[in-house]
Amino acid sequence: MSTSSLRDVQMWMVAAITGTEADAKPQDVERYVTAGPRLSASGRFAIYRSGYHARLVECLLDDYPVLAAMLGEDQSDALCREYIDRHPSASPNLNAYGRHMSSFCREAKLESFPGFDAIRGFAADLATLEWALVEVLHAETAPPLEIAELQAMAPDAWARARFIRSDALRVFRFEYPVNAVFIANRIDEIVPEVPGPAPNALAVYRKDTQLWRMELTPAMVGVLEPLVAGKALGEALATVEADESNPEVLAETGANLMVWFREWVDAGFFTRIEVDAPPPTDPGPDPDPGS
Amino acid sequence: MVSPSPLNRFSLPNLGIGLGLRTVHYAHILEHAPAVEWFEILSENYMQTKGRPLHFLDRVAERYPIAMHGVSLSIGGTDPLNRAYLAELKALRDRTKALWVSDHLCWTGVAGKNTHDLLPMPYTEESLRHTASRIRQVQDVLGAPLALENPSTYVEHAGNTMTEWDFLAALAKEADCALLLDVNNIYVSAYNHGFDAADYFAAIPFDRVVQLHVSGHTNHGTHIVDTHIGPVIDPVWELLGQAYRATGASILLEWDAEIPSFEETHADALRAKEFIVKAAS
Repeated sequence: MSTSSLRDVQMWMVAAITGTEADAKPQDVERYVTAGPRLSASGRFAIYRSGYHARLVECLLDDYPVLAAMLGEDQSDALCREYIDRHPSASPNLNAYGRHMSSFCREAKLESFPGFDAIRGFAADLATLEWALVEVLHAETAPPLEIAELQAMAPDAWARARFIRSDALRVFRFEYPVNAVFIANRIDEIVPEVPGPAPNALAVYRKDTQLWRMELTPAMVGVLEPLVAGKALGEALATVEADESNPEVLAETGANLMVWFREWVDAGFFTRIEVDAPPPTDPGPDPDPGS
Repeated sequence: MVSPSPLNRFSLPNLGIGLGLRTVHYAHILEHAPAVEWFEILSENYMQTKGRPLHFLDRVAERYPIAMHGVSLSIGGTDPLNRAYLAELKALRDRTKALWVSDHLCWTGVAGKNTHDLLPMPYTEESLRHTASRIRQVQDVLGAPLALENPSTYVEHAGNTMTEWDFLAALAKEADCALLLDVNNIYVSAYNHGFDAADYFAAIPFDRVVQLHVSGHTNHGTHIVDTHIGPVIDPVWELLGQAYRATGASILLEWDAEIPSFEETHADALRAKEFIVKAAS
């Protein structure tokens, strides 16, 4: 066996394990592997073929237990198998293997899953939520901002304050009520009907070792979303004020902003505050040098 | 336990009877600090993460000796060694102060595609030279011996020119690496391929064995799959007793699916003592 032949054996074997049955024809299998005491060469080789899909399906089901429950065993298996064909693993580590599921649900044409088009928006939103839980589990966390730091900030600094978010925080706007579905399945242990659209917002985060979800009102997400995007509080509030479509949001923000900040700081949403320098004061017109 | 001085040429200690560290047991371990002699971690569970897994690992590593066991080194693969993976592996070793690092005699993928399976090597001179060269490179990066584990396999390559045990012995000598002898894998492969476990044992350079693995499996009649499920059967324990008598190496029970309570898992691991005494008598 030459150097290239070791490579050739490996190229054939991976293609035959990960491909269709046509990629593992019995005559090819028998050329590369031997029969055993109780199984033919193809029978033995099939153990690797079935193991490949089973292993990756198990990984995806581990990351997406609620999506799998909502779809049912056969359809979740079909979804996973199409995902595996579209996204073979290229990493030595499976921790991030399922990261494409939301976009896959939103865009993929699933030949083995008739009817998926009717639920793809919901499935994509639910996958986003479940993947966020995986991401925040693996995210690094710096020591959280202390409430005392918030209280010590000078009143005129608030508008210029940027609240640096924890890496273990994600903020989403969803089209479907996926948190309610998550609670129904994981806590109440039921499998609800696929819901209709109902826009909502959610924060997904980790505090210490515990994963949490916090539902956000339109007013809360209106402030929090620009903050986690890096905007100063003054800019975030200006965005809220500029939206005249819902005056209740503005009123709710004015009444509750400090309560929200206490809640967000207590949840560990932020790690520190950076205050922009104040804008330079206008010195007025230069004195007339000739006078 | 019966604990002779370590007989391995690397002077790595006999840590006693250990368990694979599994997430379902984290809470019990941290709350009760059970009298387990050491833990083996699955390296990849603590790589590509900066979060909760490392939080628990750090606390376990504060209390117990740790060894690292990987599944993704692909030491027999023909793609270039993954340097980023190796760097992270070394960083994890530094973090845990793991006494040794092990992985399998196998390959996991090619041309950038990873099957996440422990695929069998063709046992040929070419494979031997290729794999030995890569082991030496890995040991240079780690700055420590790599312990290579004999795999469970379900096919044999038509192009094989030597047995697995002769290949493993020659490879260990050529690469000057350590061995992790998995007695369940010997049992599984002997069943699947129709060889005698005694032939395997006769060829193993026991002075290179620094660790022993034992585990349950699933017998489908036509073949056995190394599932790491269920209590260890007596014939596998008997192989463990023989291997321990020859090596005095650290023992580790692997239980990876349908995992029972910590106490039940630990109790199964401690059955090793019974078979060590039996093998010595």
